[in-house]
Amino acid sequence: MSIGLLILSEYIFIEPFVAGHIPEGTEFGFSLIIILSGLSALVLPMNVYRINILKNSKGKIGGSVFGSFIGAAAGACSCGPIGFAIISTFGSIGATSMAFLTNYEIPIRIAAIGLLALTYYTTVRSLRVECKIRPQ
Amino acid sequence: MNKKGIIIGVIVAIVGMGIIGSYSFSSSETVNLDMGRTHGDVSTAMGSPILGDPSALITIVEFGDYQCHSCYNWFHTHKPAIYENYIATGKANLIFVDLAVLGHDSPIAAQASYCAEDQEMYWGYHDLLYNSQESQIDNGWANSERLKAFAFSMGLDMDLFEICLDSDKYSKRVQYNVSEAKKHGARATPTFIIVGPDNQQEQFDGAQPYTTFKKIMDNMI
Repeated sequence: MSIGLLILSEYIFIEPFVAGHIPEGTEFGFSLIIILSGLSALVLPMNVYRINILKNSKGKIGGSVFGSFIGAAAGACSCGPIGFAIISTFGSIGATSMAFLTNYEIPIRIAAIGLLALTYYTTVRSLRVECKIRPQ
Repeated sequence: MNKKGIIIGVIVAIVGMGIIGSYSFSSSETVNLDMGRTHGDVSTAMGSPILGDPSALITIVEFGDYQCHSCYNWFHTHKPAIYENYIATGKANLIFVDLAVLGHDSPIAAQASYCAEDQEMYWGYHDLLYNSQESQIDNGWANSERLKAFAFSMGLDMDLFEICLDSDKYSKRVQYNVSEAKKHGARATPTFIIVGPDNQQEQFDGAQPYTTFKKIMDNMI
């Protein structure tokens, strides 16, 4: 996810050569991508485990998937190929929505990180309760 | 006496034409009047004037938008090194072709740049727009009034500029550039096509670092 987001946000290029750079002034955005990716890597597998092993509530995975998706979408700058595809397909409505995602990229990413952190906290708490060995 | 007058008149006319000619050659830039101009298979006829030596071996065609943050990043981070090492040295030149699709103000900003070109100030205005770009698309930084204010700050003839901008004089020119960009599969801003001496072309998108340009252009020379 980290690599994908870094490509999407133009920190890494794979064509025509593999190259990476952090333009001046975009260091904060870069840090948010790393945090977002790390949290997604923690939260998503934990919730998949909850569903597969414990056969328990599927509610929390909604938060983690939603948080990851929103965080990733914020990185789809309207300048990039995804933004362009949306603008080409949906015209001015697409352009307006992409402009919104670009304009509020940083706040959206922070909100996504907040959502993922909350999901992580509640998931860890419920896993502690559910995995506790009860004395017979 | 009449003969003398004619000779003096001719001399004055020749000297006058010489002064006008030398003034226009020493001007910082030329107006793009070549309606058949192509680089590789890209029609740059409606694009910007050429930045750098028109006879340079390599031409960099940049498809960009004045409201694009990646274009802003490339302009500030990588373009200076490319300018210094390739454009100023006569190895390459650069043409900007509008891919103005990101917001309502994008095509207007592109049109304004051509209104500045009418007064031989295209690149100055282009640079001013990228130096003045704000982080939000369509927040008003590139609306008609601000574009006129930019022109005023550069000392352009405001009557000419306002007539040009308000009449949408260059609307079709910008549309043509956008269609040319799309025709060549530009799917992001900025997209670059580097055209080499034998018309070999390399196309890629994104605000790629200087090293990428250097590798491609050094291979072409």
